[in-house]
Amino acid sequence: MNIRRILTNPYLILCLSVLIAPFVFADKSAYVTGVLIFCAIYTILTIGLDLLMGYTGQISVGHASFFAIGAYVSAILTTRYGLSPLGAMASGMVLSGILSWAIGRPVLALKEYYLAMATLAFNEIVISLIIGLEGLTGGASGIRDIPPFAIFGVSFKHHLLYYYLVWLITIFVIVLSRAIVNSPAGRALSAIHGDEIGARAFGIDCTKYKTGIFVIVNVLASLAGSLYAHFIGFIAPDDFQVGTSVSLLVMLYLGGIGTIWGPVIGACFLKILPEITYHFQDYELLVNGLILVFVLIFLPEGLYGTLKKITKRAEG
Amino acid sequence: MLLRLLDTKIPKKTKKIPYSSLTYCENKKKKKGGTIMKRLVCLYSLTAFLVLCILGAPSYSQKTAKGPYVIGGIFPLTGYLSWLGEYKKKGSELKAELINEAGGVDRTPLKLVVYDDQSSPEQAAKIAQRLISKDGAVFLIGTASVPISGAVASIANKEKVPAIIGSGYEVDPKKDKYVFNTAHKTDFAIARPFEYFKKSGMTKVALLMPIGSLGELGSRLARKYAPSYGITIVGEEKFDIKAPDVTAQLAKLKTLNPSAIFSFCTGEPAALVARNMAQLGMKIPLLVSHGNANPGFLRLIKDIDVPILVPSGRATLPNELPDSDPCKKVIIEFSKRHEQKYGEPANYYSAEMVDAVAIIAEVIKRTGSREGEKLVKGIENLKNFVGMQGVYKFSEDDHHGTALEDMMVLTIKDGKWRLLHR
Amino acid sequence: MSDFSYLVQFFFSGLTSGSIYALIAVSLVIVYRASQLICFSQGEFYVFGALIMASLLMKGIPLLAAFLLSLLSSVIMAGFIQYIVIRRLLKKPIGMLIVMTIAISLALRGFALLIWGRESYVVRPFFQVAPLSFVGATLPSQVFLIMGVTALVLLCLWLFFEKTLIGLAMRACAENPDAASLMGINVHRMSLFAWMWGGAIGAISGMVVAPLLFTQYTSGIMPMVKGFIAMSIGGLTGISGAALGGFLLGLTEAFTIGLVSSRFSDAIVFTILIIVLIFKPSGLFARSQ
Repeated sequence: MNIRRILTNPYLILCLSVLIAPFVFADKSAYVTGVLIFCAIYTILTIGLDLLMGYTGQISVGHASFFAIGAYVSAILTTRYGLSPLGAMASGMVLSGILSWAIGRPVLALKEYYLAMATLAFNEIVISLIIGLEGLTGGASGIRDIPPFAIFGVSFKHHLLYYYLVWLITIFVIVLSRAIVNSPAGRALSAIHGDEIGARAFGIDCTKYKTGIFVIVNVLASLAGSLYAHFIGFIAPDDFQVGTSVSLLVMLYLGGIGTIWGPVIGACFLKILPEITYHFQDYELLVNGLILVFVLIFLPEGLYGTLKKITKRAEG
Repeated sequence: MLLRLLDTKIPKKTKKIPYSSLTYCENKKKKKGGTIMKRLVCLYSLTAFLVLCILGAPSYSQKTAKGPYVIGGIFPLTGYLSWLGEYKKKGSELKAELINEAGGVDRTPLKLVVYDDQSSPEQAAKIAQRLISKDGAVFLIGTASVPISGAVASIANKEKVPAIIGSGYEVDPKKDKYVFNTAHKTDFAIARPFEYFKKSGMTKVALLMPIGSLGELGSRLARKYAPSYGITIVGEEKFDIKAPDVTAQLAKLKTLNPSAIFSFCTGEPAALVARNMAQLGMKIPLLVSHGNANPGFLRLIKDIDVPILVPSGRATLPNELPDSDPCKKVIIEFSKRHEQKYGEPANYYSAEMVDAVAIIAEVIKRTGSREGEKLVKGIENLKNFVGMQGVYKFSEDDHHGTALEDMMVLTIKDGKWRLLHR
Repeated sequence: MSDFSYLVQFFFSGLTSGSIYALIAVSLVIVYRASQLICFSQGEFYVFGALIMASLLMKGIPLLAAFLLSLLSSVIMAGFIQYIVIRRLLKKPIGMLIVMTIAISLALRGFALLIWGRESYVVRPFFQVAPLSFVGATLPSQVFLIMGVTALVLLCLWLFFEKTLIGLAMRACAENPDAASLMGINVHRMSLFAWMWGGAIGAISGMVVAPLLFTQYTSGIMPMVKGFIAMSIGGLTGISGAALGGFLLGLTEAFTIGLVSSRFSDAIVFTILIIVLIFKPSGLFARSQ
C-alpha cells in the first residue's frame, strides 16, 4: 500500500541486508561474515540490556557477567565433558536463569546508582571466580579448542552457515523482544520504569516483573555467550570484564535506548567502526572517542532515533 | 491540528497555498512524500556506499602468485599491554625494512601489515582473520599474552596459515601444528635462575604471583622445577596487577624467611613488588619475568634498592657474549640500526619479532612457496638458524627451537644491565 | 616478622590503598554533588594531572611549579570540555550524559596516548622522608601527604558548599536546575565551575598519588572503579562518607588478602559490597535526607 512504509520497515531492511551482505564481498566473505557474526552476538546482548534499562529502567553495568557464564558453561561442557553444543547452550541458559532469579530478587530492590554498583560488583565477582577456579575454567589463559556449533549432529562449521544461523536467532530475539514490549507485561515494565511506587499502587507486582525481565535478559546474554564461544573457538576472561559491560552501555545509548532497533544499530555500528578507524593506527583510540562524542552531541536521540526522524515526520 | 492552523497564519512561509487548513495539509503531505522518498534513496545509497567502503575497501589481493609477501603483525598498541607491543612493532618493522633494503626475498619485498589487538583476545582473533582474508597474509606474527596467543593460534590452525608468536604460550605441535614461538620456553626462564639460586645456596623461594596467565604459568613451572634444583617453595601469595600496594602479601611471605622472592610478572607490577620489598626492608633477590629485559623496566626501577634478577635472551647484553657465539654479530649489528632509528638498543621483545621476520624470510626463500603446509614443514626443517634469541633448532616436536643455554640471568647495577649467571 | 607485626602491616597496606581510593572517591562525589553527574572522565583528569607533572618534573621544573602548572592545565582542559561538549547536553537524560563522559574519557585517553606514548612514568615522592616504621611494619610517607590533602580538600569543600553563596548556588543547580535558573542562577556557569572543580581535584588526586604508583595513559581506569566502589560503600550524599568508604575498602582488601586468601580476595570483597548494598542501600555513612 504505502511504498514508504514498506521501504522503511526495519524487519525487511534487516532481513534483506543479512541475506545479501556475504555475497557482496564474495572473496573476503570469511572475514566479513565474521565481523557480522560479532555484530549479531552483540546485538542480542544490547537488546537484552535495552529491555532491562530502556524499558524497565534498571541500570546494569555488569551485563557481561552472564555473557561470560554462558560462554564458559558452553566451553567447559563441550570440551571437557563432550556434551553437544546445543545441550551445553541449553544448560548455560538454564543455569543463568536460575542464578539470575536467585540474585535478582535482592539486587533489583536497589535503586539506580546502587544497582549499577551491585551489577558491576557481580561482574567482577564472576571474573574473579573464573580466574581463581583455574582447574575448571583454565584460569586467565582461557579455554581452547571449543568445537563449532552443531544441532543434532549437523555441524555449523562453515562460516556462512553459522552466519545465517546466528542472524536467524538474532531476528527471533528481536521479534520476541518486541512482543514482550507490546504485551501487557511490557506495559507493566514501562509503568515500573516511570514510577515504581505508582505502579505498585496500581497492583503491579514489581518484584515479579523486574525479576522476570532480569531472568529473560540474562538467559539471552547466556545464549549470546554460547554462540560466541563456538564461533571463536577460544575464550578468556579478558573479554568479559567490566570494560565490555561499559561498551554495551555505549552501544545502547549510541543506537537509541528504549527502542529495540536502536541496540541493533548501535551494536553493529560500534562493531563495524574499527573497520574504518583502524587505518588511523596510533590515532585510532582518539578518533574512536571523538566519533562517539560527535555522534552523541549531534544525534542525541541515538542513531535509530535520528533515522526515524529522517524517514518519518509527525503526521499532522 | 492546532499548530497547522497557526502555521498557516504566517504569510512568509507559505507560497501560493490556499489558507484552507485541509488542502494545506494535503499539499504538505504530498510535498513531504516526495522529499521523504528522496531522502530514503539518499540514505540507502549512503549506507550502501559506507558499507562498501568499510568492508570491501580495496586491499591486497590474496595469495596471488606475484606481489610482496604479506606478513600480518598482531600487536597490542593500546590497552594494558601496549608498552610492550610497541617494542615488538618497532623491532619487526625495522627487520622487514632491512631485509627489503638487501633486496627482499628473491627480489620480492616483504610487506608487514600491523594491526592493534587492543590487548584483547577477541580483537586479536578478528584482526588475524582480517589479515588472512583481506590482506592476504602468508604468515602471522606477534601476540603478547597467553590468551591472545591462544586466540590467534585458533585462527592460524583453522585457516592453515602459520603464525610465529612471542609470549609465554607453550606450543604443543600436536595441537598447534601451525604455530611457532620465538620466545624462550618459560621453563628455561625459570630453570636458569633456579640454577643460580642453587649455586648461591638460596634454597627457600617464596612465590608472589600476579593473578592472571603469567602467574599461573610461573607458579606451575616453579613448583615443577624446584625439586631438581634443591629448592623449596615455602609459600605463595597472589596479587592483582592493578593493586597499589602488595605489602600485605609480602608481610605474610616475610614470616616464612625466604632467601628469594619469585614474582613472574612484567613491567609495572614487577616494579611495584620491588618497591614494596624495599619499603619493607626485604633486601633479598627478586626474580621477575624475562619480559622485563627492556629499557623501560630500567627506568621503572631506578632508585629501588633491591637486587633484581631478570632472565633474558642474548639480545640484551651482547657484549658479554664470547666472540665465538654466532649470535653476537647478528645482535650487535641489528641493535646498532635499532639505536640509530629509535634511539634505544634492541631488547627481548624486539629480538623475538626480529627472529620471527628473519625466519619467515628464510623459509620463504627455501621453500619458494606461499602455502601454509609447506611453510610449516620448512620451518620444522630449520636446524641451525642463527637469530637474536639463539641458534634455532626446530623440529616436528619442537616449535620453539631455543634451548636452556640461550638464556642468561641479568641483574641491574647503576641503572645498567649486568651479567649474573650464564 | 611477628604475628602482630604483620597484622600492623596489613593495616598499613590498607591505609596506603585506602588513602588513594578515598581521595578519588571524594573527587567523584564532589562532581556528583555539584552536577548530579557520575563523571567517567574523572579518571582521565587524574591521569593528565599526573602525566603533566611527571613531564614537567623530568624537564627539571621544581615541584611546586610543576604541581601548580599541571593543576592549571587540568582546570582549563576540564572547563574547555564542559564548554564544547557538556553544555549542549545539559537538558538530556542522565544516562546520555554518563555515556558522553565515557566517550570523552576514551577520546582523552587516545589523546594522552599520542602525547605521552605507551611507557610508564615514575614520580618521586614529594618529600624524601623515610617510611614510618612501627614494630617492623612500614608505611610510606607519601600516604600521610595523601591523607592530609584529602582532609584539606574535605575542609575546603565543606566550607565552600555550606558557607559560600556560590557553593549554595551549585548545590541548588544540582538538585533542581530548572528551579535554580528561575532563581536567577546561571546554570551553565555553575556546570562549568563544577567541571573545573572536578578537573582540579582529579588532577590533585593524580599528582599526589603518582609517587605511590606508576603513571601511564591507561592508569585512569583502576582508580575510577575503586572510587565508585568506595562511593557506594560510603554513600553518595556525604563527601566525608566517600572518604571513609575509601579507607574501609582499602582496609577490607588488605585484611582479606592477609587473613583469608589473596587468590579470591576480589570475589570476597565484591561479595561484601553487594551484601552491604542490599542491607544498607544508601551506603554505610549516608545521612538521612
